[in-house]
Amino acid sequence: MLISYNWLQELENNGLSPAELAEKLTSAGLTVEGIDERTDDFIFDIDLTSNRPDCLSHLGVSREVRAAAASDLIVEPHPQEFRESANSSLVKIEAADLCHRFTSRIIKNVKIGPSPDWLKNRLESLGERSINNVADITNYVMLELGQPMHAFDLSKLAQNRIVVRRAKTGETIKTLDEVERKLDDSMLAICDAEKPVAVAGIMGGFDSSISEATTDVLLEVAYFDRASIRATSRTLNLATEASYRFERGVDIENLKRASDRATGLIIELAGGDAAEFVDVYPRRFEAKLIRSNDLSSSVKRLTGLDVSDKEIERILTALGIESRSDEGERVYIAPSWRHDIEIEEDLVEEVARIVGYDKIEDRIPPATSSGSYQPWELRKKSLRQTLANHGFDEAISYSFIDTKHDEVFDLIPGLVDDSITDKFISLRDSIIEGSTRMRPTLLPGLVDAVRVNFNQQNRDLKLFEIGKVFAASRSETGLPTERELLAIAMTGSEMLAEKAFAVRPLDFYDLKGAVEIALDAINIGPLEFQAADCKHLEKGKSASVALDGRVVGYLGFLNSEIAARYKFKQPVMVAELDLQTLLEASETQVFYQPLPKFPAIVRDVSLLINRKVSFFDIKTAIRSKNFELLKKIEYVDVYEGKGVADDERSLTVRLIYRSSERTLLEEEVETVHQKVLTHLGETCNARLRF
Amino acid sequence: MIEQIAKLEKIREAFNQEFERFLDFDANRTFFSLTDAELLKKELSDFRIKKTGKKSEIAGLNRFIGQVEQEHRAEFGKMIQSLSSDVLHAIDSVEKKLDEFILNSKIERERLDVTLPGRRPRVGHLHPITLLRQKIEDIFVSLGYAIEDDREIETDYYNFDALNIPEGHPARESQDTFYTTDGFALRSQTSTVQIRAMERRGAPLRIIAPGRVFRRDTPDMTHTPMFHQIEGLCVDKGITMAHLKGTVHEWLRRLFGKDTEIRLRPSYFPFTEPSAEFDFSCFKCGGTGIFENDRCRPCKGSGWIELGGSGMVHPNVLRACNVDPTVYSGFAFGFGLERMCSLMYSLDDIRLMFENDVRFLDQFR
Ligand SMILES: [Zn+2]
Repeated sequence: MLISYNWLQELENNGLSPAELAEKLTSAGLTVEGIDERTDDFIFDIDLTSNRPDCLSHLGVSREVRAAAASDLIVEPHPQEFRESANSSLVKIEAADLCHRFTSRIIKNVKIGPSPDWLKNRLESLGERSINNVADITNYVMLELGQPMHAFDLSKLAQNRIVVRRAKTGETIKTLDEVERKLDDSMLAICDAEKPVAVAGIMGGFDSSISEATTDVLLEVAYFDRASIRATSRTLNLATEASYRFERGVDIENLKRASDRATGLIIELAGGDAAEFVDVYPRRFEAKLIRSNDLSSSVKRLTGLDVSDKEIERILTALGIESRSDEGERVYIAPSWRHDIEIEEDLVEEVARIVGYDKIEDRIPPATSSGSYQPWELRKKSLRQTLANHGFDEAISYSFIDTKHDEVFDLIPGLVDDSITDKFISLRDSIIEGSTRMRPTLLPGLVDAVRVNFNQQNRDLKLFEIGKVFAASRSETGLPTERELLAIAMTGSEMLAEKAFAVRPLDFYDLKGAVEIALDAINIGPLEFQAADCKHLEKGKSASVALDGRVVGYLGFLNSEIAARYKFKQPVMVAELDLQTLLEASETQVFYQPLPKFPAIVRDVSLLINRKVSFFDIKTAIRSKNFELLKKIEYVDVYEGKGVADDERSLTVRLIYRSSERTLLEEEVETVHQKVLTHLGETCNARLRF
Repeated sequence: MIEQIAKLEKIREAFNQEFERFLDFDANRTFFSLTDAELLKKELSDFRIKKTGKKSEIAGLNRFIGQVEQEHRAEFGKMIQSLSSDVLHAIDSVEKKLDEFILNSKIERERLDVTLPGRRPRVGHLHPITLLRQKIEDIFVSLGYAIEDDREIETDYYNFDALNIPEGHPARESQDTFYTTDGFALRSQTSTVQIRAMERRGAPLRIIAPGRVFRRDTPDMTHTPMFHQIEGLCVDKGITMAHLKGTVHEWLRRLFGKDTEIRLRPSYFPFTEPSAEFDFSCFKCGGTGIFENDRCRPCKGSGWIELGGSGMVHPNVLRACNVDPTVYSGFAFGFGLERMCSLMYSLDDIRLMFENDVRFLDQFR
């Protein structure tokens, strides 16, 4: 809102400099964002909160100054009053729920022409275009008193009548901006005997507007229902200075004064005579009453400020909030221009903001309890830090994704309830093109991030994201399932810091390692990895991860179909884990194992096995027999290639034999070892390579 | 003894002549390589044996002492000793220099370039939002607050009604809120968490709610349809705006330094009464508005940075959570993490926050 310093001084001569005034206003909550120094004036740009439409005028701002500057010099404009007329057949309100008051003044024999310079200049310095004397006066009074108004050419109104009613669906009106607008029955229209002549409170009609030929004017000054103006303005996508004020609320008790002020100015500047005035006021204003038995102590209770009863009285009176005593209580009367004052706390704010928030002390509440993180925050912190230490950058992606990712990814088991037809959560509309799906997986976000980085020539990437995914649920409230997941994406080579050349290409075991590191960091394990086919992963290069037999995620190479869609020219690996379930699982407990007293005997064996036989199979086979003395099986190496058949690989494992009672002899170990090898031959068809 | 002295002088003469090439090293050492020096040292060592050994000419001079007149023998002996010591001294001196040269050359030969990068894995970086959130959480946990988060998709009740934004309220009708096709709202502020926490924990309570929120803003330099907020809530007997001011001041001081000042400006929010926006003195220019003789960027030259909203919890909100507003009062405050991040790092486009470009992510620690 632009406010003229000179105009304020005319209304309230307080002797404050522009800078002092700006400081007072800002401190009272009317933040002065800038002061534009003109040749003969200062224009303040004031940022108003939506609850203060009363300050959308110079009168309103001057009231604030009066309270904040503790001056009582206000000179409220008291216009010449014009006679009322008894003939009310001129105006009829058919929709009293949407039009609470309507006044109409007829001014005859005016001469339309340009405005005098003082008026032009004042309007222009406040960002308003000068049109003609009558239109300019309506704008001027709006800026002065906050009341929007509209002037009709009386001769253009059929039967010289006004009917305030809901528009009929299908009716149209060409508004002042020369746009043909379709109205419907949700909208309030100002009509003549036949047709709409204005969209109430928003914009007048083109055909009935003031022109140079106009001699008789009908001046409308009214109060419309705030919600109705807001809705119509939205529907028509038409916001004006009038609608801005009406939808926030104007002063219903101020209509006569505003009308008189404009009438006086019209007669002064455009000539003419004041004729009939009609005031239809079907919904009388009822002031809100606020009871308080001790406002001073309420101010103290909420703000800590000590403000005397006398000072409170002064502030509230300056703001127009009168009070009286009633059965030992004070009753405060909210003024008709203050739609935002309803309860005692509102009065406390009035007092506090005028006294100044800078007078409020700085105190820390006494400690009563110890602080705490979210239940799993410290473990998640460790998880994040561990991944970062291993080269992973943390990504954060939008929670809404494109529906084109539907059915492309296998989701975390248990997330989606397949018995629900619409198993995903959708938005009614999107802000980012196509992104109406609340993500059921983090992977599309991470794969997008990989693409973004590829486009920047970054080809060695390690990324992770922790975030919520969503799915429909049959819960009592109907609220969707939300579950926190961890996703990882990696591609390219292992890199050293500050070294341009790669150490080695990343492979599946780097991805698996990352998953293991992550779960180690939250003290969960051991995990079971099994070869598993997965919709979004390459066959033969993917696995499921399970904890205590429950699958909690998948990892592997992104399949070539998805990779092709993204035009990826190098393999990308992804993993997604149900972090929430993992965090809910019990943490690994540590039990001390006594240190071995006797030395171990170690045998490394290279086994030729079919590629379908896994290390897991070998371990399981050995464990199933519970061989005496065999304490541990460790992985050494895998060899594939020359000297080994295509469908085979050579797996070297270390078998560790130990007794807790004595030092073993080579011979007794050899006996067991041979049994182990024979067993592996029988169960896994494993042969010694050497 | 003249004859013997002549012999001695001849030997000295001969030594000086032969020794010249070793002296040459001393004068022209820059032309010598390590190999040259090592060779020379070997030669010098041979030369030393030759000149000072038992079979050397100098040693041989002792045989002539007998030929010298009795009264001059002592003198001649001294002359031999003097020659011998001169020779040894000359050789020692060059040898020492050679040793030094060899040692230095060897050090040079193995000299490391200590400015090459240390061998370490490339480390990753946490997202700036995570880093800032963790920092702020740490501060508030130390101030006795519990960190809380809750649902991101909410009912209108938690997103609006309980926050004193009844149906028909402009804030509710505004086009800011995302809705699911089932009619649920993506929470537009983390105040929803405050409501749920108050319902669950009752009063008194102190919580901080960090989390994702959603508003229907088209992405531009300063807006994204998703961002992160931190909200604080303190409800107890006797809580006033002075506690709000003190708390906001304290955590901003801990984050930006002890000289940080704050100010509250009257404002309007449906869920607080009285309401205030809070600003803090610019961390870059120290509140002067001028940085390096130029208008300071983060505060736009005003010396103050607008950070967030706050106020005393509206009695309707307390009542909605079954907290008696005549017994308890509370303050609440909230601000956006993306905005704070962009201020702290002079970031001019916050869309970068969710693009996950590693050139961006790698800059924060
Ligand atoms: Zn600054």
